[in-house]
Amino acid sequence: MIWKMTKLKAVGLASAMLFAAPAMATECIAPADPGGGWDFTCREVGRILSSEGLVDGNVQVTNMPGGVGAVAFANVAGKRADDAELLVATSTVGVTQIAQGKYPAGIDTMRWLAMLGADVGVIAVDADSPYQTLDELMAALKEDVTSVATAGSTGAGGWDHIRLMMLAQAAGIEDIAAIRWVQFDGGSPAVTQMMGGQVGVVSTDMGEIKGFIESGDIRVLAVLADEPISAFPDLPTAVSQGYDVTGYNWRGFYTGGDVSDEDYAAWVERLQKLYDSDAWKEVATNSGLEPIWRGGDEFAAYVAEQEQQMAEISRQIGVIQ
Amino acid sequence: MTDRLAGTFFFLLAAGYVWLSAGYTAGFGDPLGPAIFPRVIGIPMMILGLSLAIWPRHNASWSDAGGLLRQAAAIGLLLGYALLLEPLGFVPSSFAAILGLSLMMGAPPIKGLLTAAIAAPGLYLLFDRVMGLPLPLIGTWFT
Amino acid sequence: MDILASLWAGFSVAALPINLALIIGGCFAGTLIGALPGLGPVNGVAILIPLTFAFGLDATSSMILLSAVYYGCMYGGRISAIMLNIPGDEPAIMTTLDGYPMAKKGQAADALAISGVASFIGATLATVGLTLFAPMLAKAAIYFGPADYFALYVMAFATIGGITGSDPRKTLLAALLGLMLGTVGLDPSTGVARYTFGSFHLYDGFDAIVALVGLFAISEILFFLEGKAQSSGLVPPGRVFPRLSRVKEGLGASLRGSVIGFIAGILPGAGASLGAVMSYSAEKRISDKGSFGQGDPRGVAAPEAGNNAASGGALIPMLTLGVPGSGTTAVMLAMLISLNIQPGPLLFQRSPDLVWGLVAALYLANVVLLVLNLPLIGMFTRVLGLPVWGLMPLVVAISYLGVYAITHAAFDLLVMVGFGILGFVLRKLDFSLVPVVLGLLLGMDMENNLRRALSISGGDFTILVQSPIALTIYVLTGGFLVLSLYLSRRDRSRTLD
Repeated sequence: MIWKMTKLKAVGLASAMLFAAPAMATECIAPADPGGGWDFTCREVGRILSSEGLVDGNVQVTNMPGGVGAVAFANVAGKRADDAELLVATSTVGVTQIAQGKYPAGIDTMRWLAMLGADVGVIAVDADSPYQTLDELMAALKEDVTSVATAGSTGAGGWDHIRLMMLAQAAGIEDIAAIRWVQFDGGSPAVTQMMGGQVGVVSTDMGEIKGFIESGDIRVLAVLADEPISAFPDLPTAVSQGYDVTGYNWRGFYTGGDVSDEDYAAWVERLQKLYDSDAWKEVATNSGLEPIWRGGDEFAAYVAEQEQQMAEISRQIGVIQ
Repeated sequence: MTDRLAGTFFFLLAAGYVWLSAGYTAGFGDPLGPAIFPRVIGIPMMILGLSLAIWPRHNASWSDAGGLLRQAAAIGLLLGYALLLEPLGFVPSSFAAILGLSLMMGAPPIKGLLTAAIAAPGLYLLFDRVMGLPLPLIGTWFT
Repeated sequence: MDILASLWAGFSVAALPINLALIIGGCFAGTLIGALPGLGPVNGVAILIPLTFAFGLDATSSMILLSAVYYGCMYGGRISAIMLNIPGDEPAIMTTLDGYPMAKKGQAADALAISGVASFIGATLATVGLTLFAPMLAKAAIYFGPADYFALYVMAFATIGGITGSDPRKTLLAALLGLMLGTVGLDPSTGVARYTFGSFHLYDGFDAIVALVGLFAISEILFFLEGKAQSSGLVPPGRVFPRLSRVKEGLGASLRGSVIGFIAGILPGAGASLGAVMSYSAEKRISDKGSFGQGDPRGVAAPEAGNNAASGGALIPMLTLGVPGSGTTAVMLAMLISLNIQPGPLLFQRSPDLVWGLVAALYLANVVLLVLNLPLIGMFTRVLGLPVWGLMPLVVAISYLGVYAITHAAFDLLVMVGFGILGFVLRKLDFSLVPVVLGLLLGMDMENNLRRALSISGGDFTILVQSPIALTIYVLTGGFLVLSLYLSRRDRSRTLD
């Protein structure tokens, strides 16, 4: 049918498509390439925002990769600080970068809207590993900090590394900077290298390596959550083993620093409605997130506290002076 | 002659590269550190650059003044296209860039104009509307 | 005959009308995306993800669509490599070496047919390998540690020397330059920013696609402006129909390239580019009598079979372990997770429909791509007949678009022009660009694996030669170099006779 269209009609249709007013007002910036975690946060949340009728039309997703989010951060701070129709996806990873001074400005440059869920950190060993409990692992490390090669999906000073350092600190290990740390390009590559015998322990987010837990290829020594998590209620938490350490990797949003209180409050409310929807619960569990809500001022305070904590431990292991 | 220049350039580039590597340190957890690999690359590069400067083999010939002028103009146009894409918007800037480049490459003016007039909005349609990759239709200067 | 029964079930899934339509549509879209400079398989797959949500496709159909696009891109990347000397995506760089010279001789149709058939052979053999050995190979790939990967990269760079160019010093310098550019950005192991000069835009380093388009496409334009303004085509369109005899010349090379590429693909992280490089350099050692680089059909067949086999191979770690073998499979994995399919070792047992449906769809996609691509050869060669002033400005606009649409940063466009000037000057000075791109693509992984190996050993360098896998690779590399030295001596004494 399209082929039968006269040329005139085709030109008309084309120009109609060209100049039709874009029906999307809301924009979500994913500060990463398509396909990453931040990209999915934007796409999924954008989809639900429009399907639940919380915004008019579609949410446009813009990828702005660079500097682990720093490029998007600088762009929003400089050009769009008062844009009330803008969401920027971020997570604990972004706050780690800010805490280590790798963004152009501090957290108070932005207004922190809400977190909608969190991936949970785990400490895992191979199924054949001699370490049966977190205590055994920590005892071995305490005796000789270089006895076990540890690995995760971030470099030294990244969130995977810092979570392990926090545990080691809680176990009373003093020379934590001497623990051997190996970076891989993701949680599942780290786990397969552990199964191949290259490293002894992996510290990373649970979402990506769930499959290995279910298949029994790896043993989880500790889940870094306050309470046992819904997907695997039998896995022990670090807290239950006497180590007061949690390590969430939350997913949430910020917006420009000059957005008015009114618009800010409206966004927090819309995101809370989204959080309460069944659609979000489903998406969150599917992507391995625990639905956890913190919004508005409570969230801003949480981010500030987390940043402090990160900066402190980064200083202790020598990532920042 | 050009080999000598290229060799000297590579030598200096590699020397600067190795020199800068001294500033990259990490005091924890990483036995090799961020500075060693650049040196592993830079030092052989210095040697090879030097050898090229001392024993050249090849001499490049550059085009005549007219050609060089066209090349410089094209580079200017490409840089301008990059810088004006956001302020002018995709369709106007692409129109100008396609028109300019095609004229430079010897297009008959009418045909060049036609190509640019069809291609600029056509590409916008293809990318923004069909593939869903958002592009600025009209730039920030007009809004 | 478990496998055959499963595969049969898979075909019954893949042959559903909706899935067939997705295969055909995906192959076609993929070929186009792959052929456009500045858009590679990663972008192609990422672009289609929102579409799969919009259509409400189930997990199996989504994966079939994305895989068809992925395979299609691998086919498509070679088209602009052969016709314009501009690789459509990273793995196609090796195809420019002999493909473009063939097009210049008026044999574009032959080159397209050879590469099409080679891609078919590579992808089909890889799919057969995937069908028969996937779980077994995945188990073997686990034992490939950082030291072994490092050995693999050493092998790739040791064999680069012979790939192109007249002056080996320049080939090495070009590779080193690429490695140097690859170190720009945040160091993954420690987060230290190297050679970024304070710019956040450089924190992620140079994007391979940006570099590729700049080095090849922009520099090509500067070359055209060199001579008097011309209104003829880039290269002679030559024959419209390929000759079967030329296609046959590439068969042996395709088979050898497939095997090498497949092995490179299975190893997570090595990927299609490495597959293409190793296939080409191996083929050159085996069959070169001075015709490689001048438009030898085997020089087109080997890397094309290699990169397509590697993309098939890369699906093995993805499906059996949930480990992405390349950027594209990483996007596909993320997609699976969001569809509530947990990738990992249990995928074959839990979602047999998905896995075997996908495998069957891959067989069909290969046939579709071959059938789709051969008749299109006539159309593509006709593009060559277009005047330069029409073609090249369009290539530029598409490249700008492709880059800008993904990064939204004018900075990347400026970097692209910078790479264009660099590429022009290097080519003027008789440097080959291929080693630069390889250095940039592989250098980062090479350094990371070295650093990982040493982190594991606590700084003890002997870890590099302790593993039997690494030792085998070093021995092979040594043998390779000695053999090529011997062969070049023999050839020289022959020409003296």
